[in-house]
Amino acid sequence: MTQPLDRRAILVGGLAAAAAGLISAPATAGAAASGPAPADWMLGVADVFDDIARRQLRPIHGKVPAGLRGTLYRNGPARFRRAGTANGHWFDGDGLVRAWHIGDSETRLAARFVDTPKRRLESRLGKMVMPGFGTPGGEGAAIASNDDTNAANTSVIKAGNDLLALWEAGSPVAMDPDTLATRGFRTFKPDLAHMPFLAHPRIEPDGRIWNLGLNGGSAVVWRLSASGDFEAAQIVPLPRASYLHDFTATARHLVIVLQPWIQDKFTLPFVDSLSWRPDLGTQVLVIGKADLTKRRIYELPTFSFFHLGDAWEERDGTIRFDGCFESDPAFGQRAARELIAGRFEAGPMPILNMVALHPDGKASLTSSGIAAEFPRSDPRLAGLPRTQTVHVGGYSGTRPFAQSVGRWDWKTGKEDAFHFGANHLVEEFVPAADRHDSRRTWLIGSTVNLIARATELHVFDASHIAQGPVCTWRADVALPVSFHGTFIAGWRGS
Amino acid sequence: MNPILAATAALAAFVASTACVRAEAAPVAATAPAQAQLTAQLTIAFTGIATPTGAILLSVYDSEATFDGGGKPVRTAMVPATGTSVETALAGLPAGRYAIKAFHDIDGDMKMAVNPFGMPTEPFAFSNDAVGNRGPAKWAAAAFTVTAGANRHSIAIR
Repeated sequence: MTQPLDRRAILVGGLAAAAAGLISAPATAGAAASGPAPADWMLGVADVFDDIARRQLRPIHGKVPAGLRGTLYRNGPARFRRAGTANGHWFDGDGLVRAWHIGDSETRLAARFVDTPKRRLESRLGKMVMPGFGTPGGEGAAIASNDDTNAANTSVIKAGNDLLALWEAGSPVAMDPDTLATRGFRTFKPDLAHMPFLAHPRIEPDGRIWNLGLNGGSAVVWRLSASGDFEAAQIVPLPRASYLHDFTATARHLVIVLQPWIQDKFTLPFVDSLSWRPDLGTQVLVIGKADLTKRRIYELPTFSFFHLGDAWEERDGTIRFDGCFESDPAFGQRAARELIAGRFEAGPMPILNMVALHPDGKASLTSSGIAAEFPRSDPRLAGLPRTQTVHVGGYSGTRPFAQSVGRWDWKTGKEDAFHFGANHLVEEFVPAADRHDSRRTWLIGSTVNLIARATELHVFDASHIAQGPVCTWRADVALPVSFHGTFIAGWRGS
Repeated sequence: MNPILAATAALAAFVASTACVRAEAAPVAATAPAQAQLTAQLTIAFTGIATPTGAILLSVYDSEATFDGGGKPVRTAMVPATGTSVETALAGLPAGRYAIKAFHDIDGDMKMAVNPFGMPTEPFAFSNDAVGNRGPAKWAAAAFTVTAGANRHSIAIR
């Protein structure tokens, strides 16, 4: 890239200044000057103006488990507006990668924006111009490749010596796991530059990484080693040009859920090129990992979705996986745009479901009956049978964002959950194995505390979530709600 | 097809038209003998070459219609990419407005390489370092003036 980085807003200096000055909820968005004050939840989509220098967290409650040390890396959009211009959608803000490190002597936070061409250009122009998932883009956009629009804002994994900040319609961005400095786009092979790479790779228990990249009616299937080195990429045709944010996998198969939200137009923003066709039902394409030409298609009732859990395969060939399914894609189409403007649009709740793909070619859905999102499970069980799904939930129906973290047990039909209440915006929680006792699992994640106006880090005992966090720390800064992340056990972190 | 991806793919077809050099241009054929009414010399420098292999393939246009509409260039040239910056001189051009499209043919196959979804994977550039918005740069952004005598134009190829 030829443009020098223009970080006009250098750290103002001092923690108080950080808390007071780096973050702002737009006072005018969604409310006329004389109208009602902005909703408190706007803190969840507020702008962060610059990187968050490393700082210690203040212990609020409890004691950190001796078996939990490492770094929780999380990614999510954190800059939506510049001088009267704004992203048109929650999914289009600049990615801010946060490192929450739990060490022996301290717990700390650092966060840096991914230094993308999009962010450089918009920083230089002082306005938001790049098109995205739900942003049409404006005058001044300079786009030589899809990676020029890459917001690098959806998830982060660690592969080899790099963090990879993931988007879905372009390349991963490599970052230094210690300093969070951006190293640049990861091109796995020169002839595969700029190929899309979803933010939801499926990682086998031994570390091998599978992923997809979507382009209308075809997908690239990526296979990387545990250290993130290129192993293979192959193009596979899809039966329909569904929007797809996530897929799943068993030990032997890739499972690609094709909702009837289908690209049938050529227009920007991207979301407006998709049509909701509930009459078509939802399909599931299953492909053999060993032979990508071996495929089978299953039919399910219509649903829309963003996120799936890991899948597994039973002895008779039955494939099962969980997911959070909605009756239509109103959230992505409209509600997630409204959020940026400070408006809440009620829509269908995401409901935790279990899908079974039977050997006779039939497929079935079992609903848990609970509203849930961001399904996660123990990474050691990826591709293997399991009975539980970790998730967030507690949606109120009157304001956005989750309010609880929970674990659904498919065997007992029981939910173990903790409700933070309406004063917290609850982000994804991830399971982390205890390093001394492998039978023990912790859940680690963050919330935005709207009363303290600060982001908090919480640890739960995964077997006793309802008892509340075993420990909580508070940052001196509120970061907007993030999307996805990864816990790296034992990692000294940033 | 993702509109951004598709727009980028359209770039490939556009810039690939530069490869018409293929048939016409021996490396130095670009320097045509001066004629009486052709009075300008244009030196074009390419900077920021990341991989010093292959060659820069370029096409020079003298009208909006041919530049934006995929018409015929007035000159083409192939410049071996022997360093991080290289240059070539075109002699005998009439003074006037021109625009250039170029790409770095790293693998030497005389074609703009694209990934399996049709997006360019070899560096390319336009005169004035103009960058398109969801498509190739337009004449309005890429055109520059060549006056009688010696002229120099620098393009960062990326």
